[in-house]
Amino acid sequence: MTVLRQSLELGLTLCRTCGLAVSRASLESDGRCPRCQSRIEHRTPFSTEMTLAWLIAGIVLYIPANLLPVMHTSGLLGEADSTILGGIFEFWRSGDWDIALLIFIASVAVPFTKFIAIGLLLVTVRNKSRWQQHQRTALYRIVEFIGYWSMLDVIVVALTSALMQFQVLGTAEPRAGIAFFCGVVVVTMLSALSFDPRLIWDQRV
Amino acid sequence: MNPILICRDCDTVYRAIPLRRGDVALCRRCDAVLARYFGADAESGLALVCAAAICFAIANLTPILSIDVAGVETRANVWFAVLSLEQGWISVAALGLAFTTFLTPAVQIALLFWVLLFARAGLRPPGFGPIMKLLHRMRPWSMTEVFLLGALVAIVKLANWVPITAGAGIWAIAALTVVLALLGRCDPASWWSIAPAVKT
Repeated sequence: MTVLRQSLELGLTLCRTCGLAVSRASLESDGRCPRCQSRIEHRTPFSTEMTLAWLIAGIVLYIPANLLPVMHTSGLLGEADSTILGGIFEFWRSGDWDIALLIFIASVAVPFTKFIAIGLLLVTVRNKSRWQQHQRTALYRIVEFIGYWSMLDVIVVALTSALMQFQVLGTAEPRAGIAFFCGVVVVTMLSALSFDPRLIWDQRV
Repeated sequence: MNPILICRDCDTVYRAIPLRRGDVALCRRCDAVLARYFGADAESGLALVCAAAICFAIANLTPILSIDVAGVETRANVWFAVLSLEQGWISVAALGLAFTTFLTPAVQIALLFWVLLFARAGLRPPGFGPIMKLLHRMRPWSMTEVFLLGALVAIVKLANWVPITAGAGIWAIAALTVVLALLGRCDPASWWSIAPAVKT
């Protein structure tokens, strides 16, 4: 089997913006990609610090996102504020267990998994661990892929509020929780995007 | 084609070999996708972008969902959804939704149209470098498929109480999801390869 080598050993480096393999010698004096003019760094600068900062912001925003109501409904059945968990419970009780599960996955399981996964990646990279490098890279790709599906609840609340505007039958309005939740999605996506997965592989035998 | 490929996820260097239709090159160390067969030329790319533009227009001009109760009708599409979140400081969520489901897809379609229009004529479009960089940055923020799922959930959610119907817009959103996914499969690195062919 051929030996697998990292870019530095061969005097190369990758432009993450356009995907070009650039020889380190030919990097223009200011360190920019000859094709797309993006700044090229061997590793994303301050990757773990930025990832950690966004992660903490996400966890902080996650608390009001779950405690505050996301929607206010009023109608024949009276007035009610509903939270994300309350909404899921409501679906579950009315027999729509599949929708309850879908919203649970998108709004609760996905953000929670992201916090744990990003935290794990940060701790192992900081400890220069060589443990399960392959699986950890897969974990990073999963976090990147599932991140934006959490926007689901924001969209459902927005559509419901747009549609339920009947004087007699009832109205629905968004509440503060949904803004915090939107913040959680954006901030955790920024956290995942700040992480440089190559750090996982920098610890060699 | 790039003679040398470097894995984005683990930094391993490979010598590229020609790919056949349907081929995907995977990293031996971490299984990341290094490259896909890139069959699209400027011509077919432009056709996809036009299809995306038409779907986008239909999705934003016709209702995606509507409810009719005793002659009173309410409608919703991407834009109505954004406006319904516009309330005091909650409007930051409206901005987030507008950015991910309206602005990002619109700008992606417009920029790809611009790039491919020139590429088809064998020219390098003005502002090619910055445009490609912007397209690369915007890619994770395009959430059309999430909006489609959200609309489906809203149907199930409201169908218990009110007569809710899906309009032409929902088909347009579904088609847009497919077309954008096809365009997205052609990764930025491949779109760049159109440029040298075009003449740098």
